[in-house]
Amino acid sequence: MLRFLFRRLLYGLVVLWVVTTLTFAMLRALPGGPFDSQRRLPPEVMANIEAKYHLDEPLLKQYGRYLAGVVQGDFGPSYKYLDRNVADIIADTFPTSTLLGLLALAFALIFSFPLGVLAAKYRDGWADRACSFVATLGISVPHFVLGALLIWLFSLKLGWFQAARWGRPTSAVLPMVTLGAAPFSYLSFLIRSSLLETLREDFIRTARAKGLKEIAVLWKHALSNSLIPVLTVLGPLFAALITGSFVVEYVFAIPGMGRFFITAVTDRDYPLIIGVTLVYTAVLVVANLVVDIFYSLVDPRIKTR
Amino acid sequence: MIPFCLKMACAWGTNSGKITPTQALFPLTSRRRKQFLWFVLPCLAVLALSSCKRSSSRDDGATFRVNLSTEPPSLDWSLATDHVSFNVIANLMVGLTEFDRQLKPAPVVAKSWDILEGGRKLVFHLRDDVQWSDGQKVRAEDFEYSWRRLLDPKTASQYAYILFDVLNAEEFHEGKIADEKQVGVKALDEATLEVTLKHPTSYFLSITTFEVTYPQRRDVVEKFAAKWTEPENIVTNGPFLLASWKHENEIRLKANPKFFLGKPAIENVEMFMVNEKTTAVGMYEQGQLDFLDNDSIPPLEKARLSKIPGFKPVPQLRGEYYGFALDRKPFDDPRVRKAFAMAIDRSVFPRILHGGELPSSSWIPPGMLAHNLKIGLPYNPPEARRLLREAGYPEGKGFPQVTLAYNTQEDHKIVAEAVQGMWKRNLGVLVRLDNIEWKVYLKRLQNDPYPVFRDGWGADYPDPDNFMKLFTSNSGNNHTRWKNSRYDQLLNQAAEEMKDDKRRRLYDEAQRLLCETEVAIVPLFVRVESTILNSRYIGLEYNSMQRLILRNVRLNSTSGVK
Amino acid sequence: MTKQLWNEMRRSPLILASLAFVCLVTAAGAAAPLIAPYAPGGFEEMRLLEAPSRDHWLGTDELGRDVLTRILYGARVSIAVGIGTAAIALMIGALYGLISGYVGGQVDNLLMRIVDIFYGLPDLLVFILLSLFFGRNIAGVLLTLALVTWVRFARITRSQVLQAKELVYVEGARAIGASHARILLRHILPNILAPVLVTLTFSIPAAILAESTLSFIGLGINDPYSAWGTSWGTLAQDGWRAMRSYPHIIFFPALAIFLTILAFNFLGNGLRDILDPKGR
Repeated sequence: MLRFLFRRLLYGLVVLWVVTTLTFAMLRALPGGPFDSQRRLPPEVMANIEAKYHLDEPLLKQYGRYLAGVVQGDFGPSYKYLDRNVADIIADTFPTSTLLGLLALAFALIFSFPLGVLAAKYRDGWADRACSFVATLGISVPHFVLGALLIWLFSLKLGWFQAARWGRPTSAVLPMVTLGAAPFSYLSFLIRSSLLETLREDFIRTARAKGLKEIAVLWKHALSNSLIPVLTVLGPLFAALITGSFVVEYVFAIPGMGRFFITAVTDRDYPLIIGVTLVYTAVLVVANLVVDIFYSLVDPRIKTR
Repeated sequence: MIPFCLKMACAWGTNSGKITPTQALFPLTSRRRKQFLWFVLPCLAVLALSSCKRSSSRDDGATFRVNLSTEPPSLDWSLATDHVSFNVIANLMVGLTEFDRQLKPAPVVAKSWDILEGGRKLVFHLRDDVQWSDGQKVRAEDFEYSWRRLLDPKTASQYAYILFDVLNAEEFHEGKIADEKQVGVKALDEATLEVTLKHPTSYFLSITTFEVTYPQRRDVVEKFAAKWTEPENIVTNGPFLLASWKHENEIRLKANPKFFLGKPAIENVEMFMVNEKTTAVGMYEQGQLDFLDNDSIPPLEKARLSKIPGFKPVPQLRGEYYGFALDRKPFDDPRVRKAFAMAIDRSVFPRILHGGELPSSSWIPPGMLAHNLKIGLPYNPPEARRLLREAGYPEGKGFPQVTLAYNTQEDHKIVAEAVQGMWKRNLGVLVRLDNIEWKVYLKRLQNDPYPVFRDGWGADYPDPDNFMKLFTSNSGNNHTRWKNSRYDQLLNQAAEEMKDDKRRRLYDEAQRLLCETEVAIVPLFVRVESTILNSRYIGLEYNSMQRLILRNVRLNSTSGVK
Repeated sequence: MTKQLWNEMRRSPLILASLAFVCLVTAAGAAAPLIAPYAPGGFEEMRLLEAPSRDHWLGTDELGRDVLTRILYGARVSIAVGIGTAAIALMIGALYGLISGYVGGQVDNLLMRIVDIFYGLPDLLVFILLSLFFGRNIAGVLLTLALVTWVRFARITRSQVLQAKELVYVEGARAIGASHARILLRHILPNILAPVLVTLTFSIPAAILAESTLSFIGLGINDPYSAWGTSWGTLAQDGWRAMRSYPHIIFFPALAIFLTILAFNFLGNGLRDILDPKGR
């Protein structure tokens, strides 16, 4: 077990290293530099700026300097936000993105359960069709359209929620729904199919044979059993929600990390881009690791390869 | 989320192929199952409930809320480069002078000044009742320190060059002079600042209105280094104090009771960072914002919003133009350039941009000395076609494939698509459009300009020198690669000339070269900022250089507080 | 197998309707130059932002262009992005997975480690970074999306190949000395077709949606005069900023995106149910 953990961890580190290197290389290859501005700088000003950020050094040396920093948890200074470190920026914004991701996940879970169960119970009936229809809606609308629609309806027309910004409990509702729509769809499908699979198992037949009521069979025996696949996707799902929330953060003006990423890309803020990419990758790596550990714990039959 | 769908789509497909642990389904003993369930679900519920912080905002009119649209990159006025940062700084700080309504420098910290040696030397006399927020007096040394810091190579300020008219400033910045004391700025005593220039400079006083020349406290900057602009460290002298700064979210200001011109009427200012214009408009309509400008209003919503009370267009000292790459075919031929210029119907711009933009065929914007609407090439399709035919492309036949490039932004796109249409119709030439994101765009303009490119300029100081200098032979901002020695000579004369009518004549001739005979650029229009102020308030000033001044904002007593 | 599939599909009206809709949109996109009422580019300064009327069934946009025409031309771009991405990703991914799964051993191990690294990358960030690289034309966007999507196909193909390899008749074929190519083509390929087809169907709407997200950041496909000009994503994004004043310029493109993606998803669901009855 320990060996397995160690290997996975090592593997995660390799992924992070590859990502750092690739992003670093790619960003340097892109045209446009962080200090190109409309008021073109006299060469001496430019030289001073580049010296300050070590951009005048050979690439390999810059790369070495950067890696050394990352190992110590220092992602360097932001080129655009002149008085701030990348690490500070991430520390400020990452919790918000995480919170938003968690909320969306909670929303998806709470609403997908009844839908999935309903669909499984009345398999192939009209309820099943209706549920599948509702669930499909969730993955068929671009985030920005859904977000705008919700703002228009619930805050401008009905006045129930704030149009944007983060802070009050109610201000989280609309972004949560927007971000949670797709995982809601996905989870509904997953719960339905997993439940159907469980219902075919022997112990369910036994339970039925014992004369238990259908509803009891469903809730007591089948549902808890079919939760396992749901639990296992929560990790990657959560990671996807954190890394995929930038449009929602943008539309609802939420001070999360994703919003920074977009502006960092257009501003060529190299350290910030690499920093954010690294954090996102780390989230994914950790999520996958957790799933693997979870598996090896609940089912010793899975080979800890 | 979308890539997530991709992922999941594939997971669906693998229902039968359980190879990774993630996708496998398998039975468990029922006790373990339940434990997991009862452990995980309550955790999620608690997280969901405990997650939201409470915040209250009373609506008694004492708090004025504006949208900055982005996080200010820096509140250090030696390092700031953009109007968002300057708009915060301008409400925290005052400098030697500030613009009056006519954009003439008016005294603030400097109560008066003497111009000596024919414009080569300026001596500023400071007031003695201006205080820093920690109670110390604002002294001439604070200016001296700030100016030297701006020029110090170690500061690496992008605006260092703005002071290059000062004696030895450029040399100090380049490291040719190591001793900062040789720079021509000096505190003679606590209340007297002497500035020595390289040569007489007609516009230098305007530069002292610019935020980068505001004073700084050496002790504070040196003690806190890069963190000196954080609310707990910063020391300022203006109408408002920096109360808090939640990065990428909001900045709060509170009125400075010790401000020497009197405490502002509104107690608090909240500045939000809402990037998305559509969202910002929604917030205004819901009462979450009290003021909007172009950064917060989508062009296509302007027609509707212009009907609400409090809407006010403010013409800007900001021009838009299309430039040509003059060193290559086909735009090396002035006839071709003229033809393209005369095929643009500028009257269309305000109608498609909806913001009351001012079509202009000349470059110097209204509100500046030497603005002259009569200069430039008017819309004239038959003449344009004739010129193109003369250049060897009758009805656009045989014209090479050229690209019109613009940086990614909604209104640039609308303008480019409209101009593309006009050239197609009037000249028979279909240009390709290319939108490029800003930093890449700038790099390309500097190294290898597009045949036709969009660019604009906003004034650093309200003098034609700032606008016209863009196109001198050695200007780093002259992406057209146009070189004209007569033009350069006219601009040098005009900069050192102290009389307005003489300067006007010089600039007229220069403008004719630029937009009429040589046509290095085609000026399109002058921007107008659409602003909306909640009618509960009055006294907000928004000037033609995008500066938002809040110190006189107060509740409109006639409208009543709801 | 095809016949069986068709027989199953005929029984579900939802699948049939979805299939018909998808075909209709694809055909409309392909025939856009023939059926569109106006030219794709153009600038009508006298007819800006008109509401739907007899001249312009779906109204005009901020430059007086016909919205219906733009949607028809947009259909070809968006559908091409969807199908093209899925097809390229399928080709790369399936080949990769086939080799990996069939050869096995150390090669498989190495190839899968590479796939794992790709899988560990946050997709949207990769989209954005790559699209800066490849530019904003249809080929660039196709390549960008395909480079992220292929990994999924590789994984599925490999897992299917691994399973198929264990089947009795494949082992039999190997025992009698059939060539690798023959085993792959005759015995393994048919076995992996079903799950790959389902994945393909779901990848198309996902790619369309991904393109519209790129458009939102301003990285979508836009070239109004070109016959391969402006994607639905870009149209919706343009209209989005004018939603309150001129709802028609967002409503119709967004509706087109929505219905098309919905149809593809229904189709995918249906196919999955038919091809993989276990999940039903």
